[in-house]
Amino acid sequence: MKVTYNWLKDFAQLKIAPGRLAEKLTMAGLEVVSLKEIAGDFVFEIEITSNRPDWLSVIGVAREVAAITGAKLKLPRLTSPSLAKAAGLQDFAIEIEDKKDCPLYTAKIIKNVKIAPSPQWLRKRLELVGCRSVNNVVDITNYVLFEYGHPLHAFDLERLRFSSIIIRRGKSQERITTIDAEERIVDRDILVIADKFAPVAVAGVIGGIATQVSNNTRNVLLEAAIFDPLLVRRGRQKLGLQSEAAYRFERGVNPKMLEAASLRATDLILELAAGEYVLSRSCGAIKTKGNSILLDLKEVGRISGANIRTAEIKTTLSNLGFSIRTRAKGKFLVEAPAFRQDVTMTIDLIEELVRIHGYEKIMASLPALKPQPIFGSARDHLGLVKNILVGLGLSEVITHSLVSSQLLSDCGVSTGSTISIKNPLSKEQEILRPTLLPSLARCLAYNLNQKQDYIAIFETAKVFTLSSAGTPQEDLFLGIVLCGEKPLLLTKGLAKEESGPRQLKGIAESLFNRLDIQGHSFINDGIDKAAILLGQEKIGAITALGKEVLLRLDIKNKEVFCLELSLEKILAAMRKERKFNPLPKYPGIERDISIIVKEDAPIREILASVKEIGGEYLAEFKISDSYQGKQIPKGHRSLTLSCLYRLGDRTLTEAEINPVHAQVSAKLKERFGASMR
Amino acid sequence: MDIELIKKEAESKIESVNSLDSLEELRFKYLGRKGVLAELTGSIPSLPVAQRADVGRQVNALKEGLNKLIETKRASLSGPLARESSRGSAEIDLPGLAQGLGQLHPISQVMDRVCEIFMRMGFTVIEGPEIETEHNNFTGLNIPLEHPSRDAFDTFYLELKAQLLLRSHTSPVQIRAMKKNKPPLAAVVPGRVYRPDATDASHSYMFHQIEGFVVDENIRFSDLKGVLEVFAKAVFGSDIKMRFRPHFFPFTEPSAEVDISCIICKGKGCSVCGRKGWLEILGSGMIHPNVFRNVGYDPKKYTGFAFGMGIERIAMLKYGIDDIRLFFENDLRFLKQF
Repeated sequence: MKVTYNWLKDFAQLKIAPGRLAEKLTMAGLEVVSLKEIAGDFVFEIEITSNRPDWLSVIGVAREVAAITGAKLKLPRLTSPSLAKAAGLQDFAIEIEDKKDCPLYTAKIIKNVKIAPSPQWLRKRLELVGCRSVNNVVDITNYVLFEYGHPLHAFDLERLRFSSIIIRRGKSQERITTIDAEERIVDRDILVIADKFAPVAVAGVIGGIATQVSNNTRNVLLEAAIFDPLLVRRGRQKLGLQSEAAYRFERGVNPKMLEAASLRATDLILELAAGEYVLSRSCGAIKTKGNSILLDLKEVGRISGANIRTAEIKTTLSNLGFSIRTRAKGKFLVEAPAFRQDVTMTIDLIEELVRIHGYEKIMASLPALKPQPIFGSARDHLGLVKNILVGLGLSEVITHSLVSSQLLSDCGVSTGSTISIKNPLSKEQEILRPTLLPSLARCLAYNLNQKQDYIAIFETAKVFTLSSAGTPQEDLFLGIVLCGEKPLLLTKGLAKEESGPRQLKGIAESLFNRLDIQGHSFINDGIDKAAILLGQEKIGAITALGKEVLLRLDIKNKEVFCLELSLEKILAAMRKERKFNPLPKYPGIERDISIIVKEDAPIREILASVKEIGGEYLAEFKISDSYQGKQIPKGHRSLTLSCLYRLGDRTLTEAEINPVHAQVSAKLKERFGASMR
Repeated sequence: MDIELIKKEAESKIESVNSLDSLEELRFKYLGRKGVLAELTGSIPSLPVAQRADVGRQVNALKEGLNKLIETKRASLSGPLARESSRGSAEIDLPGLAQGLGQLHPISQVMDRVCEIFMRMGFTVIEGPEIETEHNNFTGLNIPLEHPSRDAFDTFYLELKAQLLLRSHTSPVQIRAMKKNKPPLAAVVPGRVYRPDATDASHSYMFHQIEGFVVDENIRFSDLKGVLEVFAKAVFGSDIKMRFRPHFFPFTEPSAEVDISCIICKGKGCSVCGRKGWLEILGSGMIHPNVFRNVGYDPKKYTGFAFGMGIERIAMLKYGIDDIRLFFENDLRFLKQF
């Protein structure tokens, strides 16, 4: 909201420079977001918080200025202009359908006005606060709105048929063309002002074009009313409108200002547009009392930690318009002014006291924290997971949780059990993603376009699905995508490691080992390159993007490999307490077996055989090398198995081990047709 | 043979040697079984009797001296500053050999840093779901469903029978944590939040927040100031100035917005701070008694404070990033800078 320095001076005897005033206002909670000197005046743009509709006017701000600077407040004393005797005066009827929707409606009729442009001073002030000048009468209603904070509306009386005003809900399919020349359809949820036949305004929001004050207007009906804030809000939301009037009605207007504003506007109309004030009619009544609150002074210190003296408390409250009576020692009964409907409880008073005392005067202290550690948050270990991945050379990315259905279908993801957004602003926000991979793949495609030739990225984030019962579920997932050749600079020169599923398996294994995850396995389940199992449960998969997907993502001549797994499952399976295994007391004997087997020989079974035959002697074994290429027949693979034989209670001898190891070799020959190298 | 001459020659050769292999060669030449010194020792019996003892002592002294010198040299050649002639001095100018590390996203780095600062003060980190109820996101927090105070919280709703939404702030976790636990409580809540905003350089429909709250007997506004001062100085440096400005949030009262002196212009006024000299970094306040009532806490017994901030905002200020979209574009050239 904008107010000007000179306009404020109409109501408060300012002795403070505009710049200093801006600072004071900001530190009192009326944040001045800009202060500009324009045409000999200063325009303050103030951000008014939604709890303080009483600040949405020059008078409201002036009242606050007086309280925080000690300036004297000069509120206008208003006397009703006397009613002129007009010949052939027709009475005017106001009817309110439901007093809850409109507790009070007043109308003043001014005849024989001369519609003309506004005088320079009026136009200037309106322009400074960002309001376009229309004509004298309309400008006056706007001027008083800014000055008093109470919205007014002027109708062309001759266009109100049968001299009547009805405040009622809209009827189904009823239409009104509003002053912005838009035809709008109203309904039962929208409050309208109507004449005998049709709506002439949307109550508290916008006027109708048919009854607006134009150059031909002779007689004016000036409306000042109170409308239900909720109804105004719903109405303007439904019509997709915002207006200065609705903004104030929604937040709650000061009922005591209504008549004052109406009289002020009448005065100005008589002064600037001539005319005769001939009739005043009203319907309904309003509550104008503020709330009473018992203030226990001890509470002020308990909440603020500041020692605000009783004298200061009294002065502050009375400067802000509150009245105070002592009830008991240290207890006041405080009555809020009518324009402070936001003040309903002790904490509201404390806020006022602390605000005016000044936050800057409250000395900082540190609480004696007695925290109860709450464990079990995924984040406890998420940092570890992410750092392991970073250590393995992956870059973390953060992509949007909302995706377009197009992206999902481009990536071949079914949208069957996904959750849609009811009110997306764009197609990019249609669906809560059920998998991280499409976003990661798109991110990868973006980086390929930036001429990156090796990309290894990951994200940890929630994925969202609908359970079969229709309840939404969110689970923390890890997604990784790899593409391109990883450059490995070695002493012997540059080697390039092509991305593939084995890199992803290696990453997953490193992660599982570091987190001490037991019982994981990678199996070919015929769907994915590899399903990742924990026990018997599939918790993730290693996949490659299909040709069509690559095409749709505009990824050319590259393969993209993906891993996705449930972090929730992984973190739950993490062994949090490690146990120490005593170091071996006796030396072991290491033996390697190098074999050549068919490319499709079942490696899992080979390993199982080795383990079975090695029995209790075999302490550790692993595949320490695998190779295909020169010197190995086509369609075959060479494998080196490193076996460590060791016993816990004595030193093994070569003589004991040789037959066991020979048996292992024999078994591999026999069962898998392995030839020894 | 002149022992002095041999000594000088040997010493200078050992001095100038620059590889372990050549040093070993020298050792062999002088101290080996058939080396120069062995030859000298072998020649002693052929000397006149009167000289034998003297020459013997000199040879022994030389032997000891050279041994020491060689050992010292060996240590210097094989120590941490070892130099080997077989590789030229250009070696060290070549790139180091290591598997490259990746990096955490700048948002994660800032989030971790913020969490850590609060954890060191005794806060616990907790998290909550991103799909929320209207109660936890709004009404429980004293935000009426139809009220202008909700305008600041435009919200994505889900296409489901139940009235569920994507949380528009991390504050619903306050409600969850307080319902589940009794005071004292001191926690921070990091996470993703969602608001239907049109995307531009300073708006994103998804961003990250961190929320913090403390509830106990005797928690006061002054404590809020103290904790947030520690935080802001830890993140932005101890020379920043701070100010607490009255503001309105439905779930706290009194409420404050917190500004720090502009870290770009040091408070003089620049384009980043909109010539104000101050940068708003977070919202905070004393937890509203209605919020306590909604979770079954007695507001007469307990008080507390809460605060919340946007991590993107903190990261943008900290790193001098001028477009929020960079965080979600994930250009590796951007990410690798952090």
